[in-house]
Amino acid sequence: MRRPLPVSEGESAGGGQLAQELLPGARMDEDVLTTLKILIIGESGVGKSSLLLRFTDDTFDPELAATIGVDFKVKTISVDGNKAKLAIWDTAGQERFRTLTPSYYRGAQGVILVYDVTRRDTFVKLDNWLNELETYCTRNDIVKMLVGNKIDKEYREVDRNEGLKFARKHSMLFIEASAKTCDGVQCAFEELVEKIIQTPGLWESENQNKGVRLSHREESHGGACGGYCSML
Amino acid sequence: MADKVPSEFDVVVIGTGLPESIVAAACSRSGQSVLHVDSRSYYGGNWASFSFSGLLSWIKEYQEESDGDEWAAWQELLLEAEEGVALRKKDQTIQHVEVIRYASQDSDEHVEEVGAVQKNPAPVTSASSNDPPDSTGTACSDTSELTAPLNEPETSQEVPDVDVTLGNESHGGDTDCTESPLEQEKAENVPVGEAVVDVPKKNRITYSQIVKEGRRFNIDLTSKLLYSRGLLIDLLIKSSVSRYAEFKNVTRILGYREGTVLQVPCSRADVFNSKQLTMVEKRMLMKFLTFCLDYEQQPEDYKAYEECPFSEYLKTQKLTPSLQHFVLHSIAMTSEGCTGTLDGLRETQNFLRCLGRYGNTPFLFPLYGQGELPQCFCRMCAVFGGTYCLSHAVQCLVVDKESGKCKAIIDHFGQRISAKYFIVEDSYLTEKTCSDVAYRQMSRAVLITDRSVLKAESDQQISILTVPPVEPGSAAVRVIELCSSTMTCMKGTYLVHLTCPSSKKTAREDLESVVQKLFTPYAEAELENEEVEKPNLLWALYFNMRDSSGINRDSYNDLPSNVYVCSGPDCFLGNKNAVQQAETLFRHILPNEEFCPPPPNPEDIVFDGDGMQPEVPAPKPEAAEDVTSQGDAEEHSEE
Ligand SMILES: Nc1nc2c(ncn2[C@@H]2O[C@H](COP(=O)(O)OP(=O)(O)O)[C@@H](O)[C@H]2O)c(=O)[nH]1
Ligand SMILES: [Mg+2]
Repeated sequence: MRRPLPVSEGESAGGGQLAQELLPGARMDEDVLTTLKILIIGESGVGKSSLLLRFTDDTFDPELAATIGVDFKVKTISVDGNKAKLAIWDTAGQERFRTLTPSYYRGAQGVILVYDVTRRDTFVKLDNWLNELETYCTRNDIVKMLVGNKIDKEYREVDRNEGLKFARKHSMLFIEASAKTCDGVQCAFEELVEKIIQTPGLWESENQNKGVRLSHREESHGGACGGYCSML
Repeated sequence: MADKVPSEFDVVVIGTGLPESIVAAACSRSGQSVLHVDSRSYYGGNWASFSFSGLLSWIKEYQEESDGDEWAAWQELLLEAEEGVALRKKDQTIQHVEVIRYASQDSDEHVEEVGAVQKNPAPVTSASSNDPPDSTGTACSDTSELTAPLNEPETSQEVPDVDVTLGNESHGGDTDCTESPLEQEKAENVPVGEAVVDVPKKNRITYSQIVKEGRRFNIDLTSKLLYSRGLLIDLLIKSSVSRYAEFKNVTRILGYREGTVLQVPCSRADVFNSKQLTMVEKRMLMKFLTFCLDYEQQPEDYKAYEECPFSEYLKTQKLTPSLQHFVLHSIAMTSEGCTGTLDGLRETQNFLRCLGRYGNTPFLFPLYGQGELPQCFCRMCAVFGGTYCLSHAVQCLVVDKESGKCKAIIDHFGQRISAKYFIVEDSYLTEKTCSDVAYRQMSRAVLITDRSVLKAESDQQISILTVPPVEPGSAAVRVIELCSSTMTCMKGTYLVHLTCPSSKKTAREDLESVVQKLFTPYAEAELENEEVEKPNLLWALYFNMRDSSGINRDSYNDLPSNVYVCSGPDCFLGNKNAVQQAETLFRHILPNEEFCPPPPNPEDIVFDGDGMQPEVPAPKPEAAEDVTSQGDAEEHSEE
């Protein structure tokens, strides 16, 4: 019986829409400008989880796909002197049979769209991913970064110019990277965050539709029982 | 990647409704390998939520003629010592679907929902051609003839404005089954990049706008709320599945009395601030509610009435008729004569205990709709290694004749997938299996309106209203009105859900009188040309849904002992039934495991010898708190 290894950090890792005051540990991050929800999508096996773990933990595991189910990771980065707390969500393998839940996309400000430069089919499928993004994303101004991964490999089926052209056509940022060698990984996330911060209205908390997040802590506004208990 | 589904699992779950999804998550969390499939192209089954165009596709699917309910080929795939229990090919739980369009079509004939348009049509591969344009999920590849795509219903643009009974509509042969030519054609007429429509100031919302902004809608098939101290909230928190969802507080409890909608004060502050109540009434209500909070302490107060209806008991309390009415319908949420005194007191107590945990009312509603909840549990299942396939039908269960146990399923490709336990949602079982089952029905209506049923300072209100039955003894109608900040409808509109147990033949017969009490059809409003009190009705959908809850396992014929059945949604407001079912099934399957414990701290996971089989240590209850603090502490700060 295979026991997958779940990885997730932080109790509430929604997006910018999550109320800062409800975020555990928010007090420690007073200098954090905003919390952003970032998604990673693309075909199975292109290296999404590897890019995530390279970026957040600086690790690379060639056997990754066999053992790990990644939920999300939290990391704070500094861009142009602004600190942003990123909640980066992995697909949890649900893309394998093209069954990502629509709920995965809710409230994201940025998305990293990954293909494998050694597999043309993963490049061809990008259209489907853009389509799905369009259907389920709640905002129209979500920032997109296209990443051509695995450039450490000698063999290639998609050259750099093709990736660049596709990114231009769809108004995406573009970079080639390797989760294995670390090439371009940091840069992909940083540029994405920079662009999000530069987009007015995308991340400011007053523009977010705040919802209630449930946690282990008791929230009580004016006491439980609608105030009736306190009468007794 | 044309991956093939593995052929061996511990548990196979068929159906992605809430109870099935909770069981799947619980099993996966306990280390079982789980395959979770749904024959539909979206998550949630009858618990799903749809965008407007997604809902139109759903409607169309239920109006299409059944192409036979039997699978053909599986018999040949059985071995000598096996027999099969067939599963259903087409769902039969939805009936009497009727759509009425009130809002007028404006001159812009070619509006199409932005999200539904394929701006960059993908090369026609097997996967893309099967993806429905806008259902809440995407299809598994290679399923060509089994999952015909849900094309945009072209009818929606051309039919006359009023009284479209979709059930009677004929279908032209112009619906291609592998592509949506309509989609591609229309795409050319849509200015790329245009997305947000300004809602006209005068509240004149047209049908075209609804279609164009259709992506803003998340329309629930099943309308429920979460009790803030209910089983589902507890489970969401305990399992940390709550991290995948956000909620809004229901802001108002409304009542309907003598033809008007009123706000029912329920918290202590509400009671004191109420302008409707006299000082005497305030004191009466406070006194009674305070008693209900722990009525068990004073059995002498209600002992004599235990056998009576709650409504009779209320008459004996010092309460005015209007207070009795509100306690009965809006707080205990029961109907005249239907509920005994003990149940009524228990419901009232439950209501009061749930008050104030997250807000002024006892209820929460998930942002983006109830359909998010099954998906959240599915994600938890996937994070722990569960495998997901939508648009993946199952032909039959394979039963070993000798042991009488189910050993595998045969899917629509004819692939055999074996497992130890099988969980099947009721709607997948055939008439043969369910011949002795007596199902009840629910009546549902979904309305899009332009105003709230009760005007307030803020237009962003989430309200629950109970409309008492006209004839005593029949059921009350539950009305849940959602505003656009719940992310279930476009700005300037409200989404209104009506639910009651069916008593007449169709949902429309059951609910239309209540709809007429509360709303004005759009066309009439235009004629009157004056400020109308009631909100305008822009669009309405009626349908009946089967209520398969509360069915004894023994009622199903020939069910192998390792096959468990989950029911579809029930008629109640809360989600208690789904959680209880899931927990009961889980305890049957894994009696020694904890049900949905908090996820372990990633740092506590130890690899054994070969590094391929990490062991998750038994999580301690307080582990969840650790995850938070450690997770935060470990963030790397790059500077
Ligand atoms: N050579 C090379 N292999 C990679 C790279 N990124 C990921 N991989 C490998 O590709 C496989 C799939 O990676 P994974 O991150 O699981 O892909 P995912 O399905 O998109 O999450 C794994 O075996 C990784 O080790 C890379 O940049 N270079
Ligand atoms: Mg992965």
